[in-house]
Amino acid sequence: MIKQLTSSERQGAAVLLGLLAAIGVLMAALGRTGPFGIHGLIVILFALALLFPVLSTFYEPEPDPERLTYYYDDPIKAGIVLTMAWAVFGMFMGVWVAAQLAWPNLAFDAAWSTFGRLRPTHTTGVIFGFGGNALISTSLYVVQRTSRARLAGQLSPWFVLMGYNLFCILAVTGYFMGVTQSKEYAEPEWYADLWLVIVWVSYFILYIRTLARRKEPHIYVANWYYMAFILVVAVLHIVNNIAVPISWGSAKSYTVWAGVQDAMVQWWYGHNAVAFFLTSGFLGMLYYFLPVRAQRPIFSYRLSILSFWGITFFYMWVGSHHLHYTALPHWVQNLGMTFSVMLLVPSWASAGNALLTLNGAWHRVRDDATLRFMMVAAVFYGLSTFEGSFLAIRPVNALSHYTDWTVAHVHAGVLGWVALITFGSIYTLVPSLWKRERMYSPVLVEVHFWLAIAGTLVYVFAMWNSGIIQGLMWRTYTADGTLAYSFVDSLVAMYPYYIARTFGGFLFLLGTLVGCYNIWMTVRAAPATAGRRLDVPEPDGAGMAPSPAE
Amino acid sequence: MSVEELDPVSGHRTTGHVWNGIKELDTPVPRGVLIFLIVTHIFAVTWWFVMPTWPLGTTYTKGLLDTDQRKIVEQKIVDAEAQRAPWVDRIEKASFDEILADPKMMEIVKTTGHRLFGDNCAACHRRDGKGRSNYPNLTDHDWIWGGGPEAIMQTITTGVNSSNAKSRISQMPAFGRDGMLDPGQVDNVAAYVYSLSHPDYSTPERIKQIEAGRQVFLTTCAACHGQDAKGNQEVGAPNLTDNYWIYGGDIGTIITTIHGGREGHMPTWDERLTPAQIKILATYVYSLGVENP
Amino acid sequence: MAELFHRKIERTAIGFVLAIIAAASVGGIVEIAPLFTIHQTVEDAPDMRLYTPLELAGRDIYVREGCYACHSQMIRTLRDEVERYGPYSLAVESKYDHPMLWGSKRTGPDLARVGDKYSDLWQVAHLTNPRSVVPESNMPSYAFLARTPLQTDDLRLRLAAQRDVGVPYTDDMIRNAAQDAYGQATPDSDYASGVTQRYGEATQVRAFDGVTTELTEMDALVAYLQILGRLTDAAYKHTAAPQKPPEPVK
Ligand code: HEC
Ligand code: HEC
Ligand code: HEC
Ligand code: HEM
Ligand code: HEM
Ligand SMILES: [Ca+2]
Ligand SMILES: [Ca+2]
Ligand SMILES: [Cu+2]
Repeated sequence: MIKQLTSSERQGAAVLLGLLAAIGVLMAALGRTGPFGIHGLIVILFALALLFPVLSTFYEPEPDPERLTYYYDDPIKAGIVLTMAWAVFGMFMGVWVAAQLAWPNLAFDAAWSTFGRLRPTHTTGVIFGFGGNALISTSLYVVQRTSRARLAGQLSPWFVLMGYNLFCILAVTGYFMGVTQSKEYAEPEWYADLWLVIVWVSYFILYIRTLARRKEPHIYVANWYYMAFILVVAVLHIVNNIAVPISWGSAKSYTVWAGVQDAMVQWWYGHNAVAFFLTSGFLGMLYYFLPVRAQRPIFSYRLSILSFWGITFFYMWVGSHHLHYTALPHWVQNLGMTFSVMLLVPSWASAGNALLTLNGAWHRVRDDATLRFMMVAAVFYGLSTFEGSFLAIRPVNALSHYTDWTVAHVHAGVLGWVALITFGSIYTLVPSLWKRERMYSPVLVEVHFWLAIAGTLVYVFAMWNSGIIQGLMWRTYTADGTLAYSFVDSLVAMYPYYIARTFGGFLFLLGTLVGCYNIWMTVRAAPATAGRRLDVPEPDGAGMAPSPAE
Repeated sequence: MSVEELDPVSGHRTTGHVWNGIKELDTPVPRGVLIFLIVTHIFAVTWWFVMPTWPLGTTYTKGLLDTDQRKIVEQKIVDAEAQRAPWVDRIEKASFDEILADPKMMEIVKTTGHRLFGDNCAACHRRDGKGRSNYPNLTDHDWIWGGGPEAIMQTITTGVNSSNAKSRISQMPAFGRDGMLDPGQVDNVAAYVYSLSHPDYSTPERIKQIEAGRQVFLTTCAACHGQDAKGNQEVGAPNLTDNYWIYGGDIGTIITTIHGGREGHMPTWDERLTPAQIKILATYVYSLGVENP
Repeated sequence: MAELFHRKIERTAIGFVLAIIAAASVGGIVEIAPLFTIHQTVEDAPDMRLYTPLELAGRDIYVREGCYACHSQMIRTLRDEVERYGPYSLAVESKYDHPMLWGSKRTGPDLARVGDKYSDLWQVAHLTNPRSVVPESNMPSYAFLARTPLQTDDLRLRLAAQRDVGVPYTDDMIRNAAQDAYGQATPDSDYASGVTQRYGEATQVRAFDGVTTELTEMDALVAYLQILGRLTDAAYKHTAAPQKPPEPVK
């Protein structure tokens, strides 16, 4: 892969990695034996680990100039491998934390393995590790294909991918050591946050420059969503993470926001992390891989417009539905609630647009588990957005908030929608990237599909039950007008569901492992495709140049 | 770049653009979506009119109902108290004997007491009231401060060694640590105390040690625990002759107690619970003991 | 018409970027900015006091251990919550909380008013092994806290950073941060009096983990838990809820 870089690019990579190692040395020196110092060491190790292959191919001959007439897929291949690695890690941590709630002694009396520290390794591992790598890889794939142009950079895609994974590593290793800002989905500390800003700006520039090279005057819908994802996540991330470190040699910082304003900023971020990370980005994925796999045109371009702008505009208003009945002023909660209800229309419009696209391809859905992954994902997307809008209604939230019902909603979304659409896309992507005719084993895709569905259903039904029971027990009154159950009564009622959820999660993890094996074998053993030159960009100068709007 | 074409399945035209083989149909937005859009907007706008919603610089629109979540919950609290007032009144006025004899009131004690006990007391005394590990069993008829409902109510209200101004105060001094007894004396008195509840411990070879312990006990401990070691509920000194223990009745724990002293801390509930709730709890705790012969 | 307009902007990447930013900015601005300008958002509470260095250290441990993953500190304006946990939480009660710890999940009960609900001894026993006191519990054990000495050399930095983000710590408080942390958990020492002098008579000065020979993380976390809900009486003043404000601990 590195042989595909010119020697000056390899020099650039070496310099960048040298700089990174120098930053690591500085961190290690300032932070000494504290977590900041340990993170310095991790940065050094990371830089050295990448420097090694760069230097060992340093004097290799210049690459074939013809490579520029192909799509640039090397970083994407690495990204897919990383996606699956993070999936296994994150889901394993999910199963572990799930098991801890049923059998608390599974923390083994250590500090690093207590529930509070492991839980964010799960959420970060799956959302940012698995989801983020999937989004970066597929977005770079899709933007090239839909623009019929090669990526606008040789080194920068690698920088984005590796830089992003360094962020994830710093985040997760930090939690084990107790490094966290406690802001849900934004737990990493100030230095990791700063690093992510640099990576994200590079990502945006790479993306927009590639788009500018497109040979088709119109930007395809998938790219609208990927662009919204990149842009809005940048804004959210910066605003929510502004913090003052206690010193330049310490991992600890205090956020500038306090109390009620902090709560609003946090959930404006938190909700839209869901919206633009777990929704917009994956809708981009859906809008490319579903029609490709179904071989059908998108049902309605106009519906795409309506749902895209509806989602982009409405979503940003609804974060306050995470704070119903709290010390946040009532007026903000009402804004959050009403916009959440209106948001259902564009959400369902995109789910509907996806499902109606399958008209004329239902026989493929029946026969092809890969397409079925995407079909079911669209159904779960519709289901969880409906549930979300429902949960945002104040009296419903009075019951559901703080309970496992939220967790059920979350996992209907992340397992049923995010993970399934990702697996569907990956099963489409892998043969294309590695130029194979098909996946190594369609049967294993089928097995993965059913494990994933079973796991999701067991998980979500267990948590629906436990959440609703919990919520009801907390507010059940006796005929005399006093509360009927103590908190611990409700806790005791949760144990059977916590065990069931662990089992569901285990099935889902098993499916993921089957997927990993299948991908591995595809790369190693599946037959190669014949017509290799089919999937190539339009040469520069030929075809349509991007023309300005008339 | 292709031209618009007709999709044979749906009968709709494509938009004429192609991205790596992907096309789009120019299907109009289905009427249902538009209706749905209108319905949700009508709901939202109505809500905005009646409820507080839109910020205006330094204030916000109050809505036609002029309400607020705090006003609503305050009203609910007042209503709830009014709803409970009849029986709360009865419980407050009734004597414990009357409550214990009245099945209706006892039903309230059972259900409400269970919840109050579970959320406030079970952390120490466990859900069944049986205590353990440094917290007394409330069902064993062995009372430190007295087992009548009045005494129990007093303990709950003020607590023991708590922040309440009228708190019950009790302390078992640290005889060993503070040098009032030497280690040998501690061992001896511990053996004596242990023998009180374990008669077969007084074997001939131990009898000297136990007798030495008895002497220490009479001079040092009897002031609180009484000559007969049956305890003194005035100062919260427990009975040492039965086999009910707060901290544990094995020799080792008894030595630890005598060496390091004890100062059990039972919180005051005067601030968190209403007098009626405390009375319910006192009756509940009392009846736990009655039910456990 | 609308569609024609869209056909235009979807031809320019930069135009599309600007349109996304415009559409996505409105909600946040309308909902966040007024929280700083509308006065009633944060109630007045003249008696509001600051976290002592020991309590702040405990709070940082609470963050570090991720207790907020299971415990909320936000009693909602609902009858059942007020009856179970006490008066609903006010915004002013977390006015100095950087970050807030309202939480989003109650695997365990709300902790907003847990201060002085249980004894220090219970807190220590519970944190060391929750199932020793509550057999039904699924809370992890934090026995290591009692074994880990509290790091006090960076407390000055912590207080100073808190001041940078708006908490009114004085120079005096910052200078004496480490001594005050020690003094608050060591009532017999010379440093104890300085704590009440700087943070008020109502400050709890006790050997929180039951041992005065060493200042541990357990001291800090218990000191923090015992202050929850006790920084101000504001929540008790304007409510019909029957609970009374807690008496200062003597
Ligand atoms: C923080 C722990 C704790 C909590 C919570 C607690 N208690 Fe206690 N309780 C104690 C301790 C310790 C004692 C023993 C005090 C002593 O040593 O004299 C005690 C003693 C008692 C006694 C006196 C027992 C006797 O033998 O005289 C009663 C009655 C009692 N508690 C009832 C309650 C009730 C009712 C509640 C809840 C409203 C409650 N306790 C909550 C710790 C607690
Ligand atoms: C100043 C009064 C006082 C004196 C003197 C005193 N005790 Fe105690 N003792 C108490 C109190 C009060 C308790 C209960 C402490 C608690 O509940 O926390 C107690 C508890 C005990 C217990 C624990 C009982 C249990 O259930 O676990 C033992 C054993 C005991 N005392 C033995 C002795 C012996 C032996 C001596 C003399 C060497 C002694 N006490 C002297 C007040 C006293
Ligand atoms: C896995 C979830 C979990 C985590 C993590 C957790 N707790 Fe708990 N906590 C519980 C549960 C469940 C209960 C109720 C049962 C009990 O009392 O143990 C509880 C109870 C409590 C209580 C008693 C509250 C009351 O009013 O009875 C306190 C105080 C407490 N936890 C503090 C903490 C602190 C401090 C941390 C972090 C160091 C923490 N918890 C971490 C689950 C958790
Ligand atoms: C193997 C499958 C999985 C299992 C067993 C699992 C388990 C869990 C558990 C036990 C929790 C904590 C719930 C609590 O605190 O009560 C959790 C939270 C969470 N998980 Fe998963 N998970 C799995 C997969 C995923 C995936 C694939 C994603 C995202 C792509 C995800 C995203 C989340 C999120 C966002 C939360 C936080 C929810 C909240 O705070 O309300 N999980 N998960
Ligand atoms: C119309 C779309 C949606 C709306 C209106 C919505 C609304 C909500 C509501 C009301 C909550 C509960 C907040 C609480 O009580 O604490 C919630 C939580 C959550 N939702 Fe959704 N949801 C939507 C779609 C989705 C989707 C598609 C996903 C995932 C892919 C998702 C992921 C989450 C997560 C992770 C949380 C947990 C946040 C936390 O940590 O507390 N949501 N959502
Ligand atoms: Ca962060
Ligand atoms: Ca959450
Ligand atoms: Cu949300």
